[in-house]
Amino acid sequence: MKTTAENELSENMMPEESLQIINAMINTAKNKLADDGFHLIFWGWLVTFCALIHYVTIKLNIQGGEWVWMLMPLGGIVSGIYGYKQGKSQKVKTHIDSYIGYVWIGFIISLFVTLFFGYAHGIKATYFFLMLLYGMATFVTGGILNFKPLIYGSLFSFAFAVVSVFVGEVDQLLCIAAALILSYIIPGHMLRSKYKSQQHA
Amino acid sequence: MLKELDPILHSQLRLAIVSLLVGVKEAEFTYLKEQTNATAGNLSVQIQKLKEVGYIEIEKKFKDNYPQTICKITKVGIKAFEDYVEIIQNYLKPKK
Repeated sequence: MKTTAENELSENMMPEESLQIINAMINTAKNKLADDGFHLIFWGWLVTFCALIHYVTIKLNIQGGEWVWMLMPLGGIVSGIYGYKQGKSQKVKTHIDSYIGYVWIGFIISLFVTLFFGYAHGIKATYFFLMLLYGMATFVTGGILNFKPLIYGSLFSFAFAVVSVFVGEVDQLLCIAAALILSYIIPGHMLRSKYKSQQHA
Repeated sequence: MLKELDPILHSQLRLAIVSLLVGVKEAEFTYLKEQTNATAGNLSVQIQKLKEVGYIEIEKKFKDNYPQTICKITKVGIKAFEDYVEIIQNYLKPKK
């Protein structure tokens, strides 16, 4: 780049040169993958773990297995701190960052509404809606990021939501675990490795 | 021939800054500096000029006790950039 004085003189810049600058600058932000997959991996593993523990305790007739879900608020704190730190270290905020933010805020609101009010329709309906929400959020995020594994992965959440209608409450926990492994954990790890390889490029 | 080109944008560094900001929601001063390879002094002068004509907004904040400058393009800036690109495109079209 030129100095201030040179800049004043650069009015002789050719149109081709102008276009080159515009292209170069626009491309720097355009192809950057905006998500490191942390939240997908973290929540994927945490919820899968809780669902499986809950399932096993029921099968083994161990009382109080549902208390494992108390890990969720703790996860919220970890996730919140990570997100806050990440936001602070970010030097540039793209429109994509902001769209994805809105998708997940919408997801969290829907999640709370489903957990607190959907319960009136029974736990079976609650689990069903949770899986639909998992699918919806990952499908839209995959679309915004143009990341195919997340788009395809999200379809499993929709599929397991449908499957869960035909099984009992307890087996629904297995549906949740399967939905999360395929919609969050696997695409999340793929997203993370793509993000890391891009960082090193 | 290119007289109608906006003199504010028709400068390498200012054009680079505006092109970067058009694609993002907001960017820190340090990010603009890294991407344009400009010196801090020069960059400061140019973003100040862009602010004076209303093409960008500058927000000063503190991050971990360090001053932080965040730049954001305005609607006026986007319009000016689009007009500039249109003129360049017309100029580059094959003449009949």
